[in-house]
Amino acid sequence: MEPAIEVNRKNRKIPVAPEMADRCFTCGTCGGGCPATGLVPGWDARKAIRAIVFGLEQEVIDSKWPWVCTLCGRCQYQCPMGIQLMKTFRACRTARDRDKVPGPIHKGTMMNLERGNNLGIPRDDFLFLLADLGVEMENDEEQPTPGFYVPVDKEGANVIVTINSKEPFGEPDDMKFWWRIFYAAKEDWTVSSVNWEGVNWGLFSGDDESMKKQVARVIENARRLKCKTILYPE
Amino acid sequence: MDLLEEYIKSGRIKLNKHKYHETVTVHDPCNYVRKSQMAFGDNMGEKTRWITKQCFDESLYREMCDDPMNNFCCGAGGGAWAMPYDEERLAYGKVKADQIKDTGAELVIAPCHNCRDQIMKGLPKVHDMGNYKETLYLWELVANCLEIEPWSEEEQAKAKELRDAQFERDGIELEEE
Repeated sequence: MEPAIEVNRKNRKIPVAPEMADRCFTCGTCGGGCPATGLVPGWDARKAIRAIVFGLEQEVIDSKWPWVCTLCGRCQYQCPMGIQLMKTFRACRTARDRDKVPGPIHKGTMMNLERGNNLGIPRDDFLFLLADLGVEMENDEEQPTPGFYVPVDKEGANVIVTINSKEPFGEPDDMKFWWRIFYAAKEDWTVSSVNWEGVNWGLFSGDDESMKKQVARVIENARRLKCKTILYPE
Repeated sequence: MDLLEEYIKSGRIKLNKHKYHETVTVHDPCNYVRKSQMAFGDNMGEKTRWITKQCFDESLYREMCDDPMNNFCCGAGGGAWAMPYDEERLAYGKVKADQIKDTGAELVIAPCHNCRDQIMKGLPKVHDMGNYKETLYLWELVANCLEIEPWSEEEQAKAKELRDAQFERDGIELEEE
């Protein structure tokens, strides 16, 4: 009799976890405690792991599951058998063709590599915005901060800060929260004029190479400006 | 969070504990709490709570979960805030909305850009969140509770000099000046 499913352990599309997934007791701790259970018809964390064990990786990769799952890691933290579910589901994202990554997270990653931030904000606009907001904050009626400005490319600063591009793009005043704290603490801090993005969408799109490039840029900024501490402001 | 804790503990910043009179709870972002603990052994959940309690009277604090490491995702993690699956993202967030409702808290502190957007702009549209009024970033809370002392004339003059040099280098001309 022909076997219903031939499990080939050698040629896997998802390289890390399947062997470990063999340990699965099918206890359901993962799916039972997961807010995403029931959101994608036919899939939950346990089923996806079982499918991968049975060599049905491509079906998981093609499904919405790895993207509706938020990679929160709760299942992995609690799995009694130590199966790396979060890592496995992220690997499913990695295995998607890049043009099939949902939403803007792949395009944003490419934009970041090309122009230094996910939204493609030009350097001059960015620097003018920082200068303008600095003056605004300095003269704020309710809470003035005389002497405040945003130090850009300041060599030897103690702290270098990355910025979430959604703030200069759409919520610029929200940058002032940290700035007021720096003012009060008299911190010696700075922002890089290039590659200042703090959001690494490569992490979420499963694009390891781009993710590493972005991290390397943040470190390169700190080295270039001889800053001791990198602050991802969250 | 380490930096905020350091500023507060060393006395570099001073906070007004009585700025807010609402009840408050703290959300644990997966990336900074569970995943940081798993990857680096950092205990951020405790830090967030400690910092929050420096800004509120202790009696106003409401706990959301018995263990930060087991707290639930807001529903917008892993890039979901930006992804086109809005319906799933909001349905996912019901767990978080229920948690917030159960605490009875009016304010939620979210130490993450993404969680803050989901809790502030996403969840209240579709879920009953009880007494909930507003979400604040952790650093927004700290900034709003600051007791700021203006810099001395000397410090101001030095900063102005550095600023002018920087603006000249970068070709920045502001209208007012």
